[in-house]
Amino acid sequence: MTFAGRDALEVDAIRTDRYLESLLAANDRRASDAPADAELDPAVRDAARRLGRALVRLHPSFRFEERLAARLAEVAATMRLSAAAGAERMQPPPARLREEADPLADDPSADGADAEAAPGARAGAPATHFPRPILIGGALTSAAISIAGAAYVAWRRSRSPQSPMARAARAAHQARLGDEHPRLAPRGPGLD
Amino acid sequence: MARPVLRRVGAKDVARPRVAHLDRDRHLVEAAQRDPARFEALYRRYLAQVYSYAYYELGDHHDAEDATERTFLAALTSLHRFRERARPADGEGASTFRVWLFRIARNAVANQRRHARRHPTAPLEAAPLVADPLDVEGRVAARDEAAAAWRAVGRLPADRRRAIVLRFVDEMSTAEIAGVLGRSEGAVRVLIHRALRAVARELGRERP
Repeated sequence: MTFAGRDALEVDAIRTDRYLESLLAANDRRASDAPADAELDPAVRDAARRLGRALVRLHPSFRFEERLAARLAEVAATMRLSAAAGAERMQPPPARLREEADPLADDPSADGADAEAAPGARAGAPATHFPRPILIGGALTSAAISIAGAAYVAWRRSRSPQSPMARAARAAHQARLGDEHPRLAPRGPGLD
Repeated sequence: MARPVLRRVGAKDVARPRVAHLDRDRHLVEAAQRDPARFEALYRRYLAQVYSYAYYELGDHHDAEDATERTFLAALTSLHRFRERARPADGEGASTFRVWLFRIARNAVANQRRHARRHPTAPLEAAPLVADPLDVEGRVAARDEAAAAWRAVGRLPADRRRAIVLRFVDEMSTAEIAGVLGRSEGAVRVLIHRALRAVARELGRERP
């Protein structure tokens, strides 16, 4: 990278960037400082060294780490089951879920010069939703069979027996039900 | 409560370049795309980095944990969308899983911050500093210096603070930060340079 054709700020920024690269590499080696360009502003160099010492990487608690690991494993298991249950029948989730599930949906405030808030459209929207697969074929088939069965039974019950033999068989059946379950027996006048 | 990482990632391998391969996560990502249960390896690798980013941005452990949880859950459920585009020919600036993950984290933090605004907690500058793990004697001077540095960073505009945290805490290259923030590498270099100048001014003012 050459400095030709760059303004003073860009050149200074490149010098700073090179110094930071060597400073962070020095941190890896547990060295306290790194060589710098003689032109680099000493105040910038000092600030970089102090930030390098002050801004340490943090780790959450073990309890949080393991709890989240368990949660991720649970979600992963659900995803595997969903995929195994009918990947070929999976329908795309509704638009609302697609939007919520898109973790990289543009967030203009996130890059703003001093923006601190997210857009209202995503306010409070849990980013943890993931679309459940919809087994359209199986559900439709099951519903159709149920409706057809109910209609057939209703039709059969609404038809009176045509033949004498059928009428006799139904009467005998009713009488037997009455014997076994007195409360279901047909009541005639004078039986009370 | 957060605990400091005792060793920076990569410290054990001195000879290795800091940004060794832009596609260093490719095998883990492909395994997780085939079997979501394998995502755990990526989770363990990047948990501290994402949590640190969230903590330095939000200044609250609980908020940072919430944002971290949302980030990884969103990453897991959206992993099938991720496409590794890093090739040797791409050089700097190519897409990586880490850049993709931190873009998710950036959005999660923005959402979390909005939530925190409606339910205000401690302001960013009042966030408790975590003691240096090597500072077993609890040297007051060192803690004061760290506190001053953190105060100076906390007063930076959001984009400069974000770039500083990604550079110093997560040890990202300029190219990676550019990918996370959606800016050019040149813009990120200038952003960091200006941030350091502002921090230098702040620290100069605080010196007796």
